[in-house]
Amino acid sequence: MKFIDRLEHLDRRIIFLLVGIAVIIPMLIPLGLPVDISKPVKDVYDKVESLSEGSIVVVSADYDPGSEAELYPATEAFLEHCFRRNLRVFMLGLWPAGSNLGNLALEEIAPQYNKVYGLDYINVGYRPGGPVMLVSLGRNVADIVRTDYTGTPIDSFPLGRAVKSARDIDLVMTLSAGDPGVLHWIIYFNARYGTPIACATTAIMAPQQYPYISSGQLIGLLGGLKGAAEYETLVERKARAVGGMDSQSIVHVLLVIFIVIGNIILFSQRRKK
Amino acid sequence: MSWNVGVWIASLLTLAIYSFLYKDNPFYKVAENIFVGVSAGYWAVVLWFDFTWPNLFEPLINRGNVISLIPIIVGLMMFAPLIPKISWLVRIPLTFTMGVAMALVVTQRIQGEIFPQLQATFLPLAGVSPGVLISNLLIIIGVIATLIYFYFSKEHKGVLGFGAKLGIWFMMIAFGASFGYTVMARISLLIGRVYFLLHNWLGII
Repeated sequence: MKFIDRLEHLDRRIIFLLVGIAVIIPMLIPLGLPVDISKPVKDVYDKVESLSEGSIVVVSADYDPGSEAELYPATEAFLEHCFRRNLRVFMLGLWPAGSNLGNLALEEIAPQYNKVYGLDYINVGYRPGGPVMLVSLGRNVADIVRTDYTGTPIDSFPLGRAVKSARDIDLVMTLSAGDPGVLHWIIYFNARYGTPIACATTAIMAPQQYPYISSGQLIGLLGGLKGAAEYETLVERKARAVGGMDSQSIVHVLLVIFIVIGNIILFSQRRKK
Repeated sequence: MSWNVGVWIASLLTLAIYSFLYKDNPFYKVAENIFVGVSAGYWAVVLWFDFTWPNLFEPLINRGNVISLIPIIVGLMMFAPLIPKISWLVRIPLTFTMGVAMALVVTQRIQGEIFPQLQATFLPLAGVSPGVLISNLLIIIGVIATLIYFYFSKEHKGVLGFGAKLGIWFMMIAFGASFGYTVMARISLLIGRVYFLLHNWLGII
Protein backbone atom coordinates (compact mmCIF):
# COMPACT_ATOMS: atom_id res chain seq x y z
CA MET A 1 0.00 0.00 0.00
CA LYS A 2 2.94 2.27 0.67
CA PHE A 3 3.92 1.96 -2.99
CA ILE A 4 0.37 2.85 -4.12
CA ASP A 5 0.39 5.89 -1.79
CA ARG A 6 3.68 7.00 -3.28
CA LEU A 7 2.28 6.60 -6.80
CA GLU A 8 -0.78 8.64 -5.85
CA HIS A 9 1.41 11.57 -4.89
CA LEU A 10 3.80 11.14 -7.80
CA ASP A 11 5.29 14.40 -9.05
CA ARG A 12 3.63 15.08 -12.40
CA ARG A 13 7.00 16.16 -13.80
CA ILE A 14 8.09 12.51 -13.74
CA ILE A 15 5.21 11.72 -16.10
CA PHE A 16 6.30 14.58 -18.40
CA LEU A 17 9.84 13.20 -18.33
CA LEU A 18 8.70 9.67 -19.18
CA VAL A 19 6.58 10.95 -22.08
CA GLY A 20 9.56 13.00 -23.32
CA ILE A 21 11.85 9.97 -23.17
CA ALA A 22 9.22 7.83 -24.93
CA VAL A 23 9.15 10.36 -27.78
CA ILE A 24 12.90 10.94 -28.11
CA ILE A 25 14.30 7.38 -27.84
CA PRO A 26 12.33 5.91 -30.81
CA MET A 27 13.44 8.89 -32.91
CA LEU A 28 17.09 8.19 -32.14
CA ILE A 29 16.70 4.40 -32.42
CA PRO A 30 13.86 3.74 -34.93
CA LEU A 31 11.88 0.57 -34.31
CA GLY A 32 10.29 0.45 -37.76
CA LEU A 33 6.84 -0.50 -36.47
CA PRO A 34 4.43 -1.28 -39.34
CA VAL A 35 1.93 1.36 -40.50
CA ASP A 36 -1.45 -0.16 -41.41
CA ILE A 37 -3.47 1.59 -44.09
CA SER A 38 -7.01 2.57 -43.14
CA LYS A 39 -9.87 2.74 -45.66
CA PRO A 40 -10.42 6.54 -45.56
CA VAL A 41 -6.73 7.10 -46.43
CA LYS A 42 -6.76 4.44 -49.16
CA ASP A 43 -9.87 6.08 -50.63
CA VAL A 44 -8.04 9.41 -51.01
CA TYR A 45 -5.10 7.61 -52.62
CA ASP A 46 -7.39 5.69 -55.00
CA LYS A 47 -9.20 8.88 -56.01
CA VAL A 48 -5.91 10.56 -56.95
CA GLU A 49 -4.89 7.41 -58.85
CA SER A 50 -8.17 7.47 -60.77
CA LEU A 51 -7.69 11.04 -62.08
CA SER A 52 -6.36 11.37 -65.61
CA GLU A 53 -3.11 13.25 -66.31
CA GLY A 54 -3.54 17.02 -66.36
CA SER A 55 -6.56 16.98 -64.04
CA ILE A 56 -6.76 20.00 -61.76
CA VAL A 57 -6.55 19.48 -58.00
CA VAL A 58 -7.21 22.36 -55.63
CA VAL A 59 -5.01 22.03 -52.55
CA SER A 60 -6.35 24.25 -49.80
CA ALA A 61 -3.82 24.75 -47.02
CA ASP A 62 -6.17 25.71 -44.20
CA TYR A 63 -3.79 25.58 -41.26
CA ASP A 64 -1.08 27.53 -39.53
CA PRO A 65 2.22 26.77 -37.76
CA GLY A 66 0.30 25.51 -34.71
CA SER A 67 -0.83 22.46 -36.71
CA GLU A 68 2.24 22.23 -38.93
CA ALA A 69 3.47 19.11 -37.13
CA GLU A 70 0.37 17.17 -38.18
CA LEU A 71 -0.55 18.68 -41.54
CA TYR A 72 2.71 19.61 -43.24
CA PRO A 73 3.77 15.94 -43.72
CA ALA A 74 0.34 15.28 -45.26
CA THR A 75 0.79 18.30 -47.56
CA GLU A 76 4.13 17.00 -48.79
CA ALA A 77 2.94 13.42 -49.29
CA PHE A 78 -0.20 14.53 -51.15
CA LEU A 79 1.70 16.95 -53.41
CA GLU A 80 4.23 14.26 -54.20
CA HIS A 81 1.41 11.94 -55.28
CA CYS A 82 -0.19 14.65 -57.43
CA PHE A 83 3.06 15.52 -59.22
CA ARG A 84 3.96 11.88 -59.70
CA ARG A 85 0.58 11.41 -61.39
CA ASN A 86 1.14 14.58 -63.48
CA LEU A 87 -1.86 16.34 -62.01
CA ARG A 88 -1.98 20.13 -61.95
CA VAL A 89 -2.08 21.76 -58.51
CA PHE A 90 -3.98 24.96 -57.76
CA MET A 91 -3.04 25.96 -54.23
CA LEU A 92 -4.76 28.46 -51.97
CA GLY A 93 -5.26 28.96 -48.25
CA LEU A 94 -8.29 29.83 -46.15
CA TRP A 95 -5.89 30.60 -43.29
CA PRO A 96 -3.35 33.45 -43.60
CA ALA A 97 -0.26 31.33 -42.98
CA GLY A 98 -1.61 28.26 -44.78
CA SER A 99 -0.57 29.10 -48.31
CA ASN A 100 2.92 30.08 -47.08
CA LEU A 101 3.35 26.67 -45.48
CA GLY A 102 1.89 25.08 -48.61
CA ASN A 103 4.37 27.04 -50.68
CA LEU A 104 7.28 25.59 -48.70
CA ALA A 105 6.03 22.11 -49.61
CA LEU A 106 5.53 23.12 -53.27
CA GLU A 107 9.07 24.51 -53.47
CA GLU A 108 10.43 21.30 -52.04
CA ILE A 109 8.42 18.76 -54.04
CA ALA A 110 7.78 20.42 -57.44
CA PRO A 111 11.48 20.64 -58.54
CA GLN A 112 11.90 16.91 -57.87
CA TYR A 113 9.40 16.26 -60.68
CA ASN A 114 10.58 19.14 -62.94
CA LYS A 115 7.25 20.91 -62.55
CA VAL A 116 6.94 24.47 -63.84
CA TYR A 117 5.26 27.23 -61.85
CA GLY A 118 2.19 28.59 -63.64
CA LEU A 119 1.97 25.58 -65.93
CA ASP A 120 1.88 22.59 -63.59
CA TYR A 121 1.14 24.34 -60.32
CA ILE A 122 0.21 27.73 -58.97
CA ASN A 123 -0.25 29.29 -55.55
CA VAL A 124 -2.86 32.04 -55.32
CA GLY A 125 -2.16 32.67 -51.65
CA TYR A 126 -4.46 33.45 -48.76
CA ARG A 127 -8.09 33.97 -49.72
CA PRO A 128 -10.17 35.56 -46.95
CA GLY A 129 -13.94 35.48 -46.77
CA GLY A 130 -14.72 31.89 -45.77
CA PRO A 131 -18.17 30.81 -47.00
CA VAL A 132 -18.79 33.86 -49.23
CA MET A 133 -15.42 33.39 -50.90
CA LEU A 134 -16.00 29.67 -51.54
CA VAL A 135 -19.42 30.24 -53.10
CA SER A 136 -17.97 32.94 -55.39
CA LEU A 137 -14.88 30.87 -56.20
CA GLY A 138 -17.01 28.00 -57.46
CA ARG A 139 -19.13 30.31 -59.61
CA ASN A 140 -16.35 32.37 -61.15
CA VAL A 141 -12.73 32.10 -60.01
CA ALA A 142 -11.85 35.49 -61.54
CA ASP A 143 -14.23 37.22 -59.10
CA ILE A 144 -12.08 36.08 -56.21
CA VAL A 145 -8.60 35.43 -57.59
CA ARG A 146 -6.98 38.13 -59.67
CA THR A 147 -3.34 37.54 -58.76
CA ASP A 148 -1.14 34.76 -57.46
CA TYR A 149 0.64 34.98 -54.10
CA THR A 150 3.39 37.20 -55.58
CA GLY A 151 0.88 39.69 -56.98
CA THR A 152 1.30 38.54 -60.62
CA PRO A 153 -1.99 38.56 -62.57
CA ILE A 154 -3.34 35.03 -62.60
CA ASP A 155 -4.36 35.16 -66.27
CA SER A 156 -0.70 35.46 -67.22
CA PHE A 157 -0.28 31.77 -66.29
CA PRO A 158 -1.68 28.87 -68.38
CA LEU A 159 -2.98 27.14 -65.24
CA GLY A 160 -4.51 30.40 -64.01
CA ARG A 161 -6.46 30.67 -67.28
CA ALA A 162 -7.51 27.01 -67.13
CA VAL A 163 -9.37 27.29 -63.82
CA LYS A 164 -12.50 29.34 -64.44
CA SER A 165 -15.05 27.77 -62.09
CA ALA A 166 -15.80 24.68 -60.02
CA ARG A 167 -16.49 22.78 -63.26
CA ASP A 168 -12.76 22.88 -64.06
CA ILE A 169 -11.76 21.41 -60.69
CA ASP A 170 -11.54 17.62 -60.45
CA LEU A 171 -10.75 17.31 -56.76
CA VAL A 172 -10.37 19.53 -53.71
CA MET A 173 -7.93 18.48 -51.01
CA THR A 174 -8.28 20.57 -47.87
CA LEU A 175 -5.60 20.35 -45.21
CA SER A 176 -7.71 21.58 -42.39
CA ALA A 177 -6.99 22.63 -38.81
CA GLY A 178 -10.33 24.21 -37.96
CA ASP A 179 -12.60 26.96 -39.11
CA PRO A 180 -12.70 27.90 -41.99
CA GLY A 181 -11.77 24.52 -43.36
CA VAL A 182 -13.15 21.18 -44.37
CA LEU A 183 -16.70 21.84 -43.16
CA HIS A 184 -16.90 25.00 -45.28
CA TRP A 185 -15.60 23.15 -48.34
CA ILE A 186 -18.27 20.46 -47.81
CA ILE A 187 -21.19 22.79 -47.15
CA TYR A 188 -20.42 25.69 -49.45
CA PHE A 189 -18.56 23.99 -52.30
CA ASN A 190 -19.37 20.30 -52.51
CA ALA A 191 -23.08 20.73 -51.77
CA ARG A 192 -23.44 23.55 -54.29
CA TYR A 193 -21.12 22.48 -57.10
CA GLY A 194 -20.69 18.73 -56.51
CA THR A 195 -16.89 18.84 -56.65
CA PRO A 196 -15.36 15.87 -54.78
CA ILE A 197 -13.69 16.82 -51.50
CA ALA A 198 -10.93 14.95 -49.66
CA CYS A 199 -9.30 16.14 -46.48
CA ALA A 200 -6.38 15.87 -44.13
CA THR A 201 -7.25 17.12 -40.68
CA THR A 202 -5.69 17.41 -37.26
CA ALA A 203 -6.34 14.30 -35.17
CA ILE A 204 -8.72 16.26 -32.91
CA MET A 205 -10.96 17.02 -35.90
CA ALA A 206 -10.79 13.55 -37.44
CA PRO A 207 -13.72 11.86 -35.59
CA GLN A 208 -16.05 14.69 -36.65
CA GLN A 209 -15.40 13.89 -40.33
CA TYR A 210 -16.63 10.29 -40.30
CA PRO A 211 -20.34 11.22 -40.71
CA TYR A 212 -19.40 13.09 -43.89
CA ILE A 213 -17.47 10.08 -45.18
CA SER A 214 -20.43 7.84 -44.50
CA SER A 215 -22.77 10.29 -46.29
CA GLY A 216 -20.44 10.43 -49.30
CA GLN A 217 -19.76 14.15 -48.90
CA LEU A 218 -16.10 13.40 -48.23
CA ILE A 219 -14.12 10.98 -50.36
CA GLY A 220 -11.63 10.15 -47.64
CA LEU A 221 -9.62 11.41 -44.72
CA LEU A 222 -6.04 11.63 -43.55
CA GLY A 223 -6.50 11.94 -39.78
CA GLY A 224 -3.57 13.59 -38.02
CA LEU A 225 0.03 12.45 -38.21
CA LYS A 226 -1.15 8.83 -38.43
CA GLY A 227 -3.11 9.60 -41.61
CA ALA A 228 -0.06 11.37 -43.06
CA ALA A 229 2.11 8.35 -42.19
CA GLU A 230 -0.34 6.05 -43.97
CA TYR A 231 -0.28 8.27 -47.05
CA GLU A 232 3.52 8.42 -46.96
CA THR A 233 3.51 4.61 -46.89
CA LEU A 234 1.12 4.44 -49.85
CA VAL A 235 3.17 6.83 -51.99
CA GLU A 236 6.40 5.14 -50.80
CA ARG A 237 7.76 8.33 -49.34
CA LYS A 238 8.76 7.35 -45.83
CA ALA A 239 9.51 10.71 -44.28
CA ARG A 240 8.63 12.69 -41.17
CA ALA A 241 5.20 11.19 -40.46
CA VAL A 242 6.33 7.56 -40.71
CA GLY A 243 9.37 8.49 -38.60
CA GLY A 244 7.08 9.85 -35.89
CA MET A 245 4.87 6.77 -35.71
CA ASP A 246 7.30 4.78 -33.52
CA SER A 247 7.23 7.56 -30.91
CA GLN A 248 3.46 7.84 -31.23
CA SER A 249 2.96 4.10 -30.63
CA ILE A 250 5.35 3.97 -27.66
CA VAL A 251 3.71 7.00 -26.00
CA HIS A 252 0.26 5.49 -26.53
CA VAL A 253 1.37 2.28 -24.76
CA LEU A 254 2.82 4.41 -21.97
CA LEU A 255 -0.43 6.35 -21.61
CA VAL A 256 -2.45 3.14 -21.45
CA ILE A 257 -0.15 1.99 -18.62
CA PHE A 258 -0.69 5.34 -16.86
CA ILE A 259 -4.47 4.98 -17.18
CA VAL A 260 -4.36 1.42 -15.77
CA ILE A 261 -2.13 2.52 -12.85
CA GLY A 262 -4.40 5.52 -12.23
CA ASN A 263 -7.43 3.24 -12.01
CA ILE A 264 -5.65 0.78 -9.70
CA ILE A 265 -4.83 3.70 -7.38
CA LEU A 266 -8.42 4.96 -7.55
CA PHE A 267 -9.93 1.57 -6.68
CA SER A 268 -7.42 0.88 -3.90
CA GLN A 269 -8.17 4.28 -2.32
CA ARG A 270 -11.91 3.61 -2.53
CA ARG A 271 -11.43 0.25 -0.82
CA LYS A 272 -9.40 1.93 1.93
CA LYS A 273 -12.22 4.40 2.61
CA MET B 1 24.00 21.53 -35.96
CA SER B 2 22.20 24.30 -37.81
CA TRP B 3 23.84 27.72 -38.28
CA ASN B 4 20.55 29.32 -39.31
CA VAL B 5 19.63 32.16 -36.93
CA GLY B 6 15.89 31.54 -37.41
CA VAL B 7 16.26 27.87 -36.46
CA TRP B 8 18.20 28.87 -33.33
CA ILE B 9 15.56 31.42 -32.28
CA ALA B 10 12.75 28.89 -32.85
CA SER B 11 14.65 26.19 -30.95
CA LEU B 12 15.44 28.37 -27.95
CA LEU B 13 11.86 29.62 -27.80
CA THR B 14 10.60 26.02 -27.96
CA LEU B 15 12.84 25.08 -25.03
CA ALA B 16 11.74 28.20 -23.15
CA ILE B 17 8.07 27.24 -23.58
CA TYR B 18 8.69 23.62 -22.54
CA SER B 19 10.58 24.82 -19.45
CA PHE B 20 7.14 25.59 -17.99
CA LEU B 21 6.64 21.85 -17.52
CA TYR B 22 9.29 22.02 -14.80
CA LYS B 23 7.94 25.19 -13.24
CA ASP B 24 7.00 28.76 -14.13
CA ASN B 25 10.13 30.77 -14.90
CA PRO B 26 11.33 33.99 -16.62
CA PHE B 27 12.34 32.17 -19.84
CA TYR B 28 8.78 30.91 -20.26
CA LYS B 29 7.36 34.37 -19.53
CA VAL B 30 9.63 35.97 -22.15
CA ALA B 31 8.68 33.39 -24.80
CA GLU B 32 4.99 33.74 -23.97
CA ASN B 33 5.07 37.51 -24.28
CA ILE B 34 7.03 37.38 -27.52
CA PHE B 35 4.38 35.02 -28.89
CA VAL B 36 1.52 37.32 -27.91
CA GLY B 37 3.28 40.38 -29.36
CA VAL B 38 4.28 38.69 -32.61
CA SER B 39 0.76 37.27 -33.06
CA ALA B 40 -0.82 40.69 -32.61
CA GLY B 41 1.61 42.27 -35.07
CA TYR B 42 1.15 39.45 -37.56
CA TRP B 43 -2.65 39.79 -37.49
CA ALA B 44 -2.43 43.56 -37.90
CA VAL B 45 -0.37 43.07 -41.07
CA VAL B 46 -2.67 40.31 -42.36
CA LEU B 47 -5.80 42.40 -41.75
CA TRP B 48 -4.38 45.33 -43.68
CA PHE B 49 -2.57 43.58 -46.57
CA ASP B 50 -4.96 40.64 -47.10
CA PHE B 51 -8.36 42.06 -46.13
CA THR B 52 -8.58 45.84 -46.11
CA TRP B 53 -6.18 46.94 -48.86
CA PRO B 54 -7.01 44.40 -51.64
CA ASN B 55 -10.77 44.34 -51.00
CA LEU B 56 -11.47 47.95 -50.13
CA PHE B 57 -8.83 50.56 -50.86
CA GLU B 58 -7.01 49.01 -53.84
CA PRO B 59 -10.19 48.87 -56.00
CA LEU B 60 -11.07 52.44 -54.96
CA ILE B 61 -7.66 54.07 -55.35
CA ASN B 62 -6.08 52.12 -58.22
CA ARG B 63 -9.17 51.20 -60.23
CA GLY B 64 -11.51 54.06 -59.35
CA ASN B 65 -14.21 51.64 -58.18
CA VAL B 66 -16.51 54.05 -56.33
CA ILE B 67 -18.78 51.19 -55.18
CA SER B 68 -16.05 50.48 -52.61
CA LEU B 69 -17.18 53.66 -50.86
CA ILE B 70 -20.35 51.86 -49.72
CA PRO B 71 -18.55 49.18 -47.65
CA ILE B 72 -16.17 51.86 -46.34
CA ILE B 73 -19.08 53.98 -45.10
CA VAL B 74 -20.99 50.97 -43.74
CA GLY B 75 -17.79 49.70 -42.13
CA LEU B 76 -17.17 53.07 -40.46
CA MET B 77 -20.64 52.80 -38.92
CA MET B 78 -19.27 49.98 -36.75
CA PHE B 79 -17.44 52.71 -34.81
CA ALA B 80 -20.67 54.68 -34.22
CA PRO B 81 -21.08 53.50 -30.57
CA LEU B 82 -18.01 55.62 -29.77
CA ILE B 83 -20.21 58.71 -30.37
CA PRO B 84 -23.38 58.28 -28.24
CA LYS B 85 -25.51 60.63 -30.42
CA ILE B 86 -25.17 58.44 -33.52
CA SER B 87 -24.61 55.10 -31.81
CA TRP B 88 -27.80 53.72 -33.42
CA LEU B 89 -25.99 53.68 -36.77
CA VAL B 90 -24.16 50.52 -35.71
CA ARG B 91 -27.39 48.60 -36.33
CA ILE B 92 -27.00 49.03 -40.11
CA PRO B 93 -23.71 47.07 -40.54
CA LEU B 94 -24.77 44.57 -37.87
CA THR B 95 -28.10 43.78 -39.55
CA PHE B 96 -26.39 43.57 -42.92
CA THR B 97 -23.78 41.12 -41.60
CA MET B 98 -26.41 39.06 -39.78
CA GLY B 99 -28.70 38.99 -42.81
CA VAL B 100 -25.97 37.76 -45.16
CA ALA B 101 -24.71 35.23 -42.64
CA MET B 102 -28.20 33.90 -41.93
CA ALA B 103 -29.05 33.58 -45.61
CA LEU B 104 -25.84 31.71 -46.32
CA VAL B 105 -25.89 29.53 -43.25
CA VAL B 106 -29.57 28.57 -43.29
CA THR B 107 -29.76 27.67 -46.97
CA GLN B 108 -26.41 25.94 -47.22
CA ARG B 109 -26.59 24.13 -43.88
CA ILE B 110 -29.91 22.60 -44.89
CA GLN B 111 -28.70 21.72 -48.38
CA GLY B 112 -25.16 20.74 -47.43
CA GLU B 113 -25.47 19.25 -43.98
CA ILE B 114 -28.91 18.41 -42.63
CA PHE B 115 -30.37 16.71 -45.74
CA PRO B 116 -27.26 14.70 -46.70
CA GLN B 117 -26.72 13.61 -43.08
CA LEU B 118 -30.36 12.60 -42.75
CA GLN B 119 -30.17 10.76 -46.05
CA ALA B 120 -27.07 8.91 -44.80
CA THR B 121 -29.14 7.29 -42.04
CA PHE B 122 -31.58 5.73 -44.54
CA LEU B 123 -29.61 2.52 -44.73
CA PRO B 124 -30.62 -0.89 -46.10
CA LEU B 125 -31.22 -3.68 -43.61
CA ALA B 126 -31.97 -6.38 -46.17
CA GLY B 127 -29.90 -7.81 -48.99
CA VAL B 128 -26.59 -6.80 -47.40
CA SER B 129 -23.73 -8.80 -45.88
CA PRO B 130 -23.86 -9.51 -42.10
CA GLY B 131 -21.00 -7.04 -41.48
CA VAL B 132 -22.77 -4.20 -43.33
CA LEU B 133 -26.05 -5.10 -41.59
CA ILE B 134 -24.43 -4.74 -38.13
CA SER B 135 -22.79 -1.47 -39.17
CA ASN B 136 -26.05 -0.08 -40.57
CA LEU B 137 -28.00 -1.16 -37.47
CA LEU B 138 -25.46 0.52 -35.20
CA ILE B 139 -25.78 3.78 -37.13
CA ILE B 140 -29.60 3.71 -37.14
CA ILE B 141 -29.91 2.74 -33.45
CA GLY B 142 -27.18 5.21 -32.47
CA VAL B 143 -28.87 8.13 -34.23
CA ILE B 144 -32.32 7.32 -32.82
CA ALA B 145 -31.02 6.71 -29.26
CA THR B 146 -28.96 9.93 -29.25
CA LEU B 147 -31.93 11.92 -30.54
CA ILE B 148 -34.10 10.42 -27.77
CA TYR B 149 -31.58 11.61 -25.17
CA PHE B 150 -32.02 15.19 -26.46
CA TYR B 151 -35.82 14.94 -26.40
CA PHE B 152 -36.77 16.84 -23.27
CA SER B 153 -40.56 17.27 -23.68
CA LYS B 154 -41.31 14.00 -21.83
CA GLU B 155 -39.72 12.44 -18.78
CA HIS B 156 -37.13 9.80 -19.65
CA LYS B 157 -39.00 6.75 -18.32
CA GLY B 158 -39.83 3.34 -19.78
CA VAL B 159 -38.94 2.99 -23.47
CA LEU B 160 -37.88 6.62 -23.62
CA GLY B 161 -35.63 6.13 -20.58
CA PHE B 162 -34.04 3.04 -22.11
CA GLY B 163 -33.47 4.90 -25.40
CA ALA B 164 -31.94 7.86 -23.56
CA LYS B 165 -29.59 5.55 -21.61
CA LEU B 166 -28.56 3.86 -24.84
CA GLY B 167 -27.98 7.32 -26.31
CA ILE B 168 -25.63 8.13 -23.42
CA TRP B 169 -23.64 4.96 -24.18
CA PHE B 170 -23.31 5.89 -27.84
CA MET B 171 -22.22 9.41 -26.92
CA MET B 172 -19.71 8.11 -24.34
CA ILE B 173 -18.14 5.90 -27.00
CA ALA B 174 -17.97 8.92 -29.34
CA PHE B 175 -16.39 11.06 -26.59
CA GLY B 176 -13.89 8.27 -25.91
CA ALA B 177 -12.91 8.20 -29.59
CA SER B 178 -12.56 11.99 -29.57
CA PHE B 179 -10.41 11.85 -26.43
CA GLY B 180 -8.18 9.20 -27.98
CA TYR B 181 -7.72 11.33 -31.09
CA THR B 182 -7.04 14.40 -28.91
CA VAL B 183 -4.26 12.56 -27.06
CA MET B 184 -2.84 11.49 -30.43
CA ALA B 185 -2.96 15.09 -31.66
CA ARG B 186 -1.12 16.45 -28.63
CA ILE B 187 1.56 13.79 -28.89
CA SER B 188 1.89 14.54 -32.62
CA LEU B 189 2.60 18.19 -31.79
CA LEU B 190 5.26 17.10 -29.29
CA ILE B 191 6.75 14.78 -31.91
CA GLY B 192 6.80 17.69 -34.37
CA ARG B 193 8.71 19.91 -31.94
CA VAL B 194 11.14 17.17 -30.90
CA TYR B 195 11.75 16.36 -34.58
CA PHE B 196 12.48 20.04 -35.20
CA LEU B 197 14.97 20.15 -32.32
CA LEU B 198 16.72 16.91 -33.23
CA HIS B 199 16.65 17.30 -37.02
CA ASN B 200 16.57 20.98 -37.96
CA TRP B 201 18.52 22.33 -34.99
CA LEU B 202 20.90 19.64 -33.74
CA GLY B 203 21.00 17.61 -36.96
CA ILE B 204 21.34 14.29 -35.14
CA ILE B 205 18.47 12.49 -36.92
